Amino acid sequence: MPEALFEFGLRTGIHTLMNSAWGWPAVESIHFLGLSMLIGAVGLFDLRMLGVARGIPMGALHRLIPWGIGGYAVNVMTGFLFVTSAPDQYLYNPAFQVKLALMAVAGLNVLFFYRFVFARVRVCAGEAEAPLSAKVAAAVSLTCWVGIIVCGRLITYYRPPYHWCWWC
Amino acid sequence: MHYFLWLEGTGFSIWMRESGLAFFSSLILHALGMAFLVGAHLATDLRILGVAPGVPLSLIRRFRPVTWAALIVVSASGVLLLVAYPAKALTNPVFYLKLLAATVALLIGRSLYRGVLRDVTGDSGQVPGKARALAALSIALWITTITSGRVLAYTYKVLMASDPR
Repeated sequence: MPEALFEFGLRTGIHTLMNSAWGWPAVESIHFLGLSMLIGAVGLFDLRMLGVARGIPMGALHRLIPWGIGGYAVNVMTGFLFVTSAPDQYLYNPAFQVKLALMAVAGLNVLFFYRFVFARVRVCAGEAEAPLSAKVAAAVSLTCWVGIIVCGRLITYYRPPYHWCWWC
Repeated sequence: MHYFLWLEGTGFSIWMRESGLAFFSSLILHALGMAFLVGAHLATDLRILGVAPGVPLSLIRRFRPVTWAALIVVSASGVLLLVAYPAKALTNPVFYLKLLAATVALLIGRSLYRGVLRDVTGDSGQVPGKARALAALSIALWITTITSGRVLAYTYKVLMASDPR
């Protein structure tokens, strides 16, 4: 798996880009901008459902969510560039593994939210309190995204993974 | 440099460098705080530029406590990281660019809060061109802040005053 990813990076020029003088910091900056956009849209929407900034209609605030999805898409792509450039530094890294697990939980939470909760949230008045199910989904979402940022930062702490990773 | 030498030698600075927990907690809190600080500002700027028009401009300030909390976390963790490696950042011009961009962005945020974000009549309808220009400038400044912050990790000439390379 690491070898295949690395090969892919070499063939597609990702490796060249990421190892150019400013490649890595430039992609890191874009990654951070993407996560700020995600928090600015999804994080604020979650906070509103949890009772912050009562008065702002949740349905109207939800119009920011496409920007959060955009940030997410940017980060999946830029994140792929990191992983492809140094696969063994990520795939065997516990911080990266927990990060992926939290992303899976956040993804399931999104499916749950839009399938069962959003229709009721969308029609709430500005001053309305969100239903309990929405608060639960918002708390899960915020916890996951905060955890994902923490894990992202921790990836560099566990690098290189060979020193501690007993199954590598 | 004398001042950096003195600060580096204090017990607190040594502890910040040598305790992995203290240093990494500061790094993590700085990243988390920045995500919320920049995120909230970007969302406000986008609203001023016409995204999510149903969100009343005059109510955005109810998110202000989130911004304040993020600013406090970012400043405190930033100072701790400075205490750990004062010479690393303070001898790097990029650090002053980051500080300048963030300060101007925060001042723009404040001026928008005192202007268009207090004006109930602006809740529906077009935001004045000046406020829109400030919002666009704010986005550019936050991008500058993030980029220069990241670039800091790659451009420092001195890690510690006591150990010039």
